[in-house]
Amino acid sequence: MSADGWVLATDASKLYSMVAAARGLGGDVTVLAVGSRSLAEAAAVAGADRVCWIETADDVPADAFAATVGEILSAAKPRAVLAATTPQGRALLGAAAAALGAVVISGLVGMAIEDQFVVVDRTNLEGRVVETMATSAPVAALFAGMAQVVPPADARPAEIERLAAEWTSDIRIEKTEPVSGAGTGVSGAERVVAVGRGLKARADLAVVQGLADTLGAALGCSMPVADDFGWVPKESYVGRSGQHISPRLYVAIGISGAPQHLDGVRDAKTVIAVNVDPDAPIFRRADYGIVGDLYEVIPQLCAALTAVQA
Amino acid sequence: MEADATQPLVEGWVCVKIVVIFKWARDPQDAAVRSDGSVDWRDARMVPGDDDPAAIAVARDLVASVGGDTVGITIGDGDATWALARGIEQVITVPDAPRLLDDAATAELLAAAIRWVGDVDLVVIGDCEAYPGVPAALAGVLGWPAFLGASGAAVADGRLVATRRSEDHEDTIGLGLPAVLAVAATSAEKHPPGMKEILAARKRPIRVVSVAELGIDPLDRLQSRGTRVPETGTARIFTGSPASTARELVAALRADHLL
Repeated sequence: MSADGWVLATDASKLYSMVAAARGLGGDVTVLAVGSRSLAEAAAVAGADRVCWIETADDVPADAFAATVGEILSAAKPRAVLAATTPQGRALLGAAAAALGAVVISGLVGMAIEDQFVVVDRTNLEGRVVETMATSAPVAALFAGMAQVVPPADARPAEIERLAAEWTSDIRIEKTEPVSGAGTGVSGAERVVAVGRGLKARADLAVVQGLADTLGAALGCSMPVADDFGWVPKESYVGRSGQHISPRLYVAIGISGAPQHLDGVRDAKTVIAVNVDPDAPIFRRADYGIVGDLYEVIPQLCAALTAVQA
Repeated sequence: MEADATQPLVEGWVCVKIVVIFKWARDPQDAAVRSDGSVDWRDARMVPGDDDPAAIAVARDLVASVGGDTVGITIGDGDATWALARGIEQVITVPDAPRLLDDAATAELLAAAIRWVGDVDLVVIGDCEAYPGVPAALAGVLGWPAFLGASGAAVADGRLVATRRSEDHEDTIGLGLPAVLAVAATSAEKHPPGMKEILAARKRPIRVVSVAELGIDPLDRLQSRGTRVPETGTARIFTGSPASTARELVAALRADHLL
């Protein structure tokens, strides 16, 4: 048995991974791209069978097309629809779910079809467990799998079908301003060293800055260090309401790993954590970790790095 | 000074009725995960999410600037006085609301409570990281526009104007009502209520409504087949002396071509 799946795309991140996840149903996969022509072109090489495209205007965000997306999905009636966990992706998914009468699941990492059931694996409880769920209803799911950076080598471009869609809501972009600090510091850096509440005093920032200098990394922090203590400029704090970064190497020093923070490093390639608490949530996101006092570990880490760089 | 709920303070803007949804989920950190991957919630209660104070602050500020009413809605065993102590004028609580796996079913329940309140212009909800599907599903069920991930909201030229930050820019977006506004906190709560506000909150009205009174029969169409510990993403943890762990980590990073 197979079933069709749709992917709602408002940006190009994780497109390939979402199409691959929808392939788990064994049927055709359609990407509905809501955005610019470049988004539609990215969708066309993401491995889908079909790409439908709704072009947005400069002052009309993708969210404004939620009702239209619901109407399109209501007519297509796929068994499952996926979207990224961005505000725009979620807005479209909510309308699609209501139109399809679908269950709504977050954290999807994989899906399959078994008889009349869609079987979904989702990450839950801040990544501590993977839960398998089943339903005979249509599924609307927010995707939480990893981004696949390189497009599939054998992907043949799909034809782009432009839809003449009207938006019915009055959502308008009134103003767009660059975020202070964007493009500098931690934003766009290949390596980032960030510090959290494990740091005891502002003067001790020099210790962490030393590690950043040794690694050739930008210095960032978790929200309390910038917001509550004011030890680091607000432009440098990493988290859901701060900078969302995707460095090749991210070193979290004295950061417990609250969900608010982890959301900002979701796309970091490799995460290293140093924390005195072996049960700190950051270790669940980390690829490497040292359990220890940052004041004792960092000088030794600098020494070890300097030794191999010599 | 408190706003007069019957008189608009901004020309061209009518008084609004704002519903704030709070304490609608359990905190994932209250769940224990056993070594076999099974989960024990240990009778965890509905608790305020990290974004709930920010949602309440946005609703309170909107009413303070344009006039209107705030009504809080909580489900399950959430403590209603938590919102009343933060300036919400009255609270509707649905104590027999079941815990549902399906975010759409949770949204149906919340939507029924919103309809029960009636004549609602704006729903404000904390954009909880652990349950990102609920605000979106709620807007879908209500058939209202959704503005999610908002960092703030105000009134300008008679329209709701909300801000949303992305990686490198901040959009200011205008939208009409009714709408669902999901607020993501940009900082921890600055001024939690003191004992005076908490005591005063106990005198404010709380209306208890049953699921049956809402006229719905919540149905969970999702079945959990179990949980397991993730197979991937486990950190290579180094323990021991600071010197040895530092050397081992650097050696591992070099071996994996990360330095």
